[in-house]
Amino acid sequence: MSLDTNTNVVNKNEEFKPLIVAFCCNWCSYAGADLAGTSRLKYPANIKIIRVPCSCRVNINFVLRAFQNGADGVVIAGCHPGDCHYSTGNYHTRRRFSLITNLTEYIGVEKERFKVDWISAAEGNKFATVMNDILEDVYKLGPNKKLRDARWKI
Amino acid sequence: MENITKKIRAVAKQALIDKEVDKILGWKKGDLWSDSYPVFITKPEDTDTLIWDLFCINNLSKFLIKELTKHDKIGIFIKGCDSTSFNQLLKDNRINRDDVVLYGIPCEGMVDPEKVKKIMLNERVREIKKHENNFTLISKNKNIDVSGEEIKYDKCITCISPNPVVYDQLLSDEVENSKHSGDRFKRIEEIEAMSPDQRYNFWKGEFQRCIRCNACRDICPACSCVKCVFDNEDAEVSGKAKTEGEDTFFHLVRAYHVAGRCVDCGECARVCPAGIPLDLLNRKIIKDINEVYGEFNAGMDSTTPAPLVTFKLEDTDTFSKKGGK
Ligand code: SF4
Ligand code: SF4
Ligand code: SF4
Repeated sequence: MSLDTNTNVVNKNEEFKPLIVAFCCNWCSYAGADLAGTSRLKYPANIKIIRVPCSCRVNINFVLRAFQNGADGVVIAGCHPGDCHYSTGNYHTRRRFSLITNLTEYIGVEKERFKVDWISAAEGNKFATVMNDILEDVYKLGPNKKLRDARWKI
Repeated sequence: MENITKKIRAVAKQALIDKEVDKILGWKKGDLWSDSYPVFITKPEDTDTLIWDLFCINNLSKFLIKELTKHDKIGIFIKGCDSTSFNQLLKDNRINRDDVVLYGIPCEGMVDPEKVKKIMLNERVREIKKHENNFTLISKNKNIDVSGEEIKYDKCITCISPNPVVYDQLLSDEVENSKHSGDRFKRIEEIEAMSPDQRYNFWKGEFQRCIRCNACRDICPACSCVKCVFDNEDAEVSGKAKTEGEDTFFHLVRAYHVAGRCVDCGECARVCPAGIPLDLLNRKIIKDINEVYGEFNAGMDSTTPAPLVTFKLEDTDTFSKKGGK
């Protein structure tokens, strides 16, 4: 895929294959992804899962670097509030990423590209839905050109 | 202002003679009408260089981190914004309250020399006279009367704490807070009202001028980690390439790292040689914290925990129901 950063137009001859990076907490959301897999639920192959000990391990650097290095959308998924395996991690996630969601939107990144959600180990269905939804949104938006590092090639 | 200058000199001299403190941090006059800069004094006879005028804008609090490694007890003059910065340093455990003597100065706002130069264009300014909230700019050929709003720093027009919030001794009567009545979130709301692409282009235009000089990091009282994420080569976050992506990365990470601890002193934007309005990034975070987690002004005291180191079970968020706004 080639990007024309000046005109914001994707080369029409090449098909746009979005790349979504999903940071999933080890205890709930990653197990949710497993369940989606073993239940043979359909979710797109464009999702690259990165397993983290807890959703609060993810910081703004991870998200920005993912966007810079080729992601068109980023998801952060953790246990539902109250279910964190470290008791309080996702409460911190909730506050931090509330601010970061607004901050990235404030500098002009479309809010549909960046999602935070709670997915438990029993919610294989929800995992598939969340991933399908963001993929659909990102398809509509087209490739992420705003935060991409100009030096990065895929 | 002359009265306060006299008091500053007397207080500093006495404190050094009595050996109450072994160093004084204050301001002195430079060569130009608009130059007032920080000065460190250890000898009682040098205290006559100390001043207080319309240009004592430098926040002295951050110097304490380094100076307190060399001295046991330091006397420092602080305005409102310096005092909130001081509280932030206390809260972050960078300094000890017992090692510092604070001489508080209620502040009526400082004059931005750049704004004065724009009004006087090619005229050489000689002097600025203050009457109440108005000023007369005096040059060889003409006098121009202006209001405070026209020549004060932006951060002073929207200042929420002109009176020191912490001090050992106050050098004059408190000033009225209502003089500083500008709406500090007006500009933020204007940017929020733009389309995503407009916002992106606005920030891109600002960020790309960044020369990564780090002045904004150095001056900031909330930016005081011993080891900074930007200096950590192993973490691969210290990219120095002059690309759009790196510029955005630097600015978002810097702004977010002081979230909940930024005292809105505006120093980052003031010292930026590229004129990037960094305060518009930090103040956006303050606005969001106020809206989502309740009004919080960092530095008002030295004990209330910052919103990002705590939480409530019933907190709301910005990413689910309303989907990010
Ligand atoms: S921000 Fe407030 S305390 Fe600081 S210099 Fe301006 S008016 Fe004075
Ligand atoms: S002071 Fe300005 S130019 Fe220097 S690093 Fe900060 S934003 Fe960039
Ligand atoms: S980020 Fe800027 S306004 Fe906030 S505390 Fe630091 S220097 Fe002051």
